[in-house]
Amino acid sequence: MSHSTLPDCEANFTSTLPEQPPVLVVRKHHFLVRWSHWLNVPILPGLILSGISIYWASPLYQHKSDPNTGNVDVAADLGIWICAHVPGLHHYSNPPDWIYNHVSLGPGMLALGLRLHWLCAYLFMLNGILYVAGLVMGGGWRALLPRRTDLFDALRMLRYYLGLPFAKLARRQWLHPRLNTKYNALQRTAYFSVPVAGFLSIATGWAIHKPMQLHWLAALFGGYDVARVWHFWLMWTYILFVVPHVLLVFADGWDTLRSMIVGWSTRVEQSEVVANEP
Amino acid sequence: MNHKVNGDDSLQPKDTPSTDIGRKQEMAELPEASPEDEKRSVPMNIEKHEAPEALEQQGDAKGSPSLLVDHEPRTDEAASSVAVKSVSVKKPQSFFGERPLPAIEMAPRVLRYESRRDLLMFGAGALAALTGAKFLLPQDTLRRLGMHRNMGSAWKEWFLSKALRIDDDVAEALYSANRSVPTYTKSQITPLKNNYNGATPDPGYISGWKLTLDGLTSGLSISLDIQNLLTLFPVHEQITRLVCVEGWSAIAWWAGMRFDDLFRAYPPMSQAKWALVESSVNLDGSGNPDPYFMSLDLATARHPQTLLATHFNGQPLTVDHGAPLRLLVPVKLGLKNVKAITRITYVAEEPRDYWAERGYSRYDGI
Repeated sequence: MSHSTLPDCEANFTSTLPEQPPVLVVRKHHFLVRWSHWLNVPILPGLILSGISIYWASPLYQHKSDPNTGNVDVAADLGIWICAHVPGLHHYSNPPDWIYNHVSLGPGMLALGLRLHWLCAYLFMLNGILYVAGLVMGGGWRALLPRRTDLFDALRMLRYYLGLPFAKLARRQWLHPRLNTKYNALQRTAYFSVPVAGFLSIATGWAIHKPMQLHWLAALFGGYDVARVWHFWLMWTYILFVVPHVLLVFADGWDTLRSMIVGWSTRVEQSEVVANEP
Repeated sequence: MNHKVNGDDSLQPKDTPSTDIGRKQEMAELPEASPEDEKRSVPMNIEKHEAPEALEQQGDAKGSPSLLVDHEPRTDEAASSVAVKSVSVKKPQSFFGERPLPAIEMAPRVLRYESRRDLLMFGAGALAALTGAKFLLPQDTLRRLGMHRNMGSAWKEWFLSKALRIDDDVAEALYSANRSVPTYTKSQITPLKNNYNGATPDPGYISGWKLTLDGLTSGLSISLDIQNLLTLFPVHEQITRLVCVEGWSAIAWWAGMRFDDLFRAYPPMSQAKWALVESSVNLDGSGNPDPYFMSLDLATARHPQTLLATHFNGQPLTVDHGAPLRLLVPVKLGLKNVKAITRITYVAEEPRDYWAERGYSRYDGI
């Protein structure tokens, strides 16, 4: 320890060290994967909020003009419905704008929405490059690839998750399926789908951003108008992924959350060569 | 795939003693590590791996002494120095097969140090992201979130304009004079809204309408009426898509003169790189002056599908769609397709643009 270059505050540890056994850890995530993972936290909401501000200018889902209000936008209908049925919102000043006031930058912000959307979109593409580089450099891409057994394994996991609350209530033992891979089949499918959705979002984004110079790309998704529909629904992939993702990481515990920050996990047995015995 | 390779159960009990010996030998070499192995109930094969260089690197990179002991799962490839690639040679894994994660023994204090460092970095990153969001979000959005302080709007403006400029440069790089936009058949025509939102302008201007050209080589100012234009230049037809910045699009059947023909007949001065296009529609919905002017780069103006359109869906243009002459630039957003154009001025420097002054991009190539 004589060659220690650590600050003085570390000195206590040095003296107590011999009693502390080394900890066995596995490196779970390459640092580029971790960085790009967290960079999505500001970028994706930026894209979604500005995207819905852009959506406001010409909603995909419209109906015939309402005889009373002249409203054509389904999202405005939804806002009106929310203000009529949610207690405390009955006096909301502008119900048709409720959705845009709450899940976008706001109505009437097309120019700013576009600017922020381009900014976030370029950052999102750069971030995607970082993520893929991290997967390749850390070898993590292999753990994400779908496999032939996935459907069966996913059903098994689903059965486990569905049965878990009942087993807990009945205080019965409910065994976690044996696992000898980094992720279970459900996780793997989710973690594989999100980068694919990211790629498709970028592709459809370019298709509707440059429908003339890249008209072949728009044609690939069924033309300009259809590519807009793709782009809109791909957004829901992230929302549908993120909600359970965040809930489950907290349910799974600190080690899993920490591993995405520091890279390593002490759950050696789960990720390692040996099958997991619950 | 993994289980096939690693499910070699017979290895585990057989090798456990030897692993322990290996570990103890190593502990002897590194006195800071503890020889307490009983606590570790992880049924796993660990072998000391001959990778002192990796050990040194890790120790040095973190500015901490070499406490790290690089272990990796049981492998017969003693020569392998890359931990990630440690696999059994008995059943070689396919290239796509999942590999076991390398397990490493680390001194708790190194782990603590690394965790603290990474968590601090994470916290700093989160703070930076929050500041960035406050900095970039529109003032109205921030106000709705309860933040009334004005966050450096000049910087925000500069930063977002920069981002917009990059996107314009990308659009300009994507443009090719030889690339035509897709054309459609008459059965694919869709309704085109006029986007006046009920405030269609008064058609009074049409009777005395003239197109004026300025900034020509000749130094003259040329005025042409619609009859002059139709007799001077051949009429071309095209069915193309008009895409609005708002997101909607429409396929419409247009007819008119090529901008390039006008360009050849009345060549602009040699320094000219831009055209400033102005419109007779220069009043807003309530009748107040609201001049509409737009910048167009000459490369786009000379594209064979850039028309000075006189007809829409087989009929002369109506006021809704820019009678008597509108610009049709299918390689640009709809906002560059100026209705009822009255003046084209060729200039050397990029001229003002109505929508660019309102926060939209300048180039608008699609």
